[in-house]
Amino acid sequence: MIADLIEAIAKILFVFGVNMGFFAPILGWVERKQSAVMQDRVGANRADIFGFTLIGLLHPLSDTIKLITKEDFIPAGANKLFHTLAPFISLTPALITFAVVPFGGQYEIFGRRINLVVADLDVGILFVFAFASLATYGTVLAGWSSNNNWSFLGGLRAAAQMLSYEVAMGLSIIGIIMVYGSLKLTEIGAMQTDFFKWGIFLQPIGFILFLTCAIAENKRAPFDIPEAETEIVAGYFTEYSSMKFIMFWMGEFLEMVTISGIITTLFLGAWHLPFISDERLLSLFGFAGPNGSIIMLMMANIATFFGKIIFMIWFQMTIRWTLPRFRYDQIMKLGWKIMLPISLINIFITGLVVLLK
Amino acid sequence: MSYKSNYIVGSIPLDKLKPKKVRKNIELTLWERLYIPEIVRGMYITTRHFIINMIGFVFPPEGKKRKIFTVYYPEEKLTIHVAYRGRPVLVQREDGKEKCVACGLCERICPALAISIVGGERENKERYPVTYTLDMSRCVYCGLCEEVCPHEAIVMSDEYIGLAEYDRKNMIYPKEKLLVPVARLKNRIEYVREIYGKANYMD
Repeated sequence: MIADLIEAIAKILFVFGVNMGFFAPILGWVERKQSAVMQDRVGANRADIFGFTLIGLLHPLSDTIKLITKEDFIPAGANKLFHTLAPFISLTPALITFAVVPFGGQYEIFGRRINLVVADLDVGILFVFAFASLATYGTVLAGWSSNNNWSFLGGLRAAAQMLSYEVAMGLSIIGIIMVYGSLKLTEIGAMQTDFFKWGIFLQPIGFILFLTCAIAENKRAPFDIPEAETEIVAGYFTEYSSMKFIMFWMGEFLEMVTISGIITTLFLGAWHLPFISDERLLSLFGFAGPNGSIIMLMMANIATFFGKIIFMIWFQMTIRWTLPRFRYDQIMKLGWKIMLPISLINIFITGLVVLLK
Repeated sequence: MSYKSNYIVGSIPLDKLKPKKVRKNIELTLWERLYIPEIVRGMYITTRHFIINMIGFVFPPEGKKRKIFTVYYPEEKLTIHVAYRGRPVLVQREDGKEKCVACGLCERICPALAISIVGGERENKERYPVTYTLDMSRCVYCGLCEEVCPHEAIVMSDEYIGLAEYDRKNMIYPKEKLLVPVARLKNRIEYVREIYGKANYMD
């Protein structure tokens, strides 16, 4: 009983710590630095402590100090309750969704079975979609409660865009559910042991569709019309300052991490290394004794999983700094006229193949 | 000549800068309307830049700190070309006296009316400026004073740091602040002779 509790708390702390302690602060730096390197610039490198700049790694720290000490401003005529609530609503889903993403397999250490996922739900992937659609509320409430035309327009755009892409996103994942025959993310992850059984090889179209829809859900370029700087100032968070402002940013970055985690679990072989099976790794670690080797295997799997997540984050950043923003009508056209039919066709073909096999 | 150097634009040598063909018709082909291949092409370009620059940061090319051309300004400074027009200075002869003869041509030509001179005479009948005031808040760095000077007494130096002030009064430079020994201005004087053709009538 107490051991279960300790295990659960340890897993929650690990996931929370990695997300809030590592990814949330560092991704701001990664975005600035990566875009700079891609565009032949140098990027943030000025903040220093006693002359040590650490290639700009101190910028997140100085940004945080600056934002905490800034005035928390609520505009006149704004709905105070919803204006305060909106950033929390947009940050929480990104964190909660990670609860069902498995960051490792199942291991037996000292006679105890450890399942490396915070909540091993039977409806795993549905839970993800349920909470992903909750994030829409944060955005819409922020846009509506600010009493600002730009924010309102941003909120409207966000609502239209996120609802449109929710449909295609839900349908794009049906193919992979049909192939693996499970909604449980842990089971889907466990089935991808062989390199050529990874979701990306069984469902290449599903992968592209899901990635596109996920980026659209996350409101990042090329789908960033809700916050289009050149058109509507900053969109739905125009009227936000101080920590509430950075909560939107943290929500965006953590959503990116969560999307990477789900894509890794569904399409990129979860915690498995390509061409090297877990048994082979276990025999490699054989020198550390039965329990030690399993612990080392667990570490290797977690490292593999987060390595893939970091790769996917890099990939999304590259897309974000490569493609220009879509126009509003282009986004709607892409969502309803292209993504939706393609995902339906994908489901049909996948069904045929599964049936005939 | 010391002032001649092979200048390059960015990191591309001049002979490799060729005008690119511009596609005028904006009608998209079928291949482009598929969109995915074009995305892949764009991402190939950005990723190539990313990887090349990352390698340039970790293993910098010979004699440089990185591949990216950006200058980290306060720590690193560009070597100023001799044609650069910094703040105007008065040339100080080897014997410590100013070269200026207070003819007033620079005062006349200055488009911003920044120069004011009061002339005088030494015991050996040599003319010199009793006061030579340059209002740096008015100076536009055009270099006309240097061009018009018949005696190579005022030239543009390569100084550009520390010219900004909080008080306008500090920007009025007296003669003492303007004098610079001739040894430090040799390159510029040589260059001025070259471009303004003064070599014909100077000693």
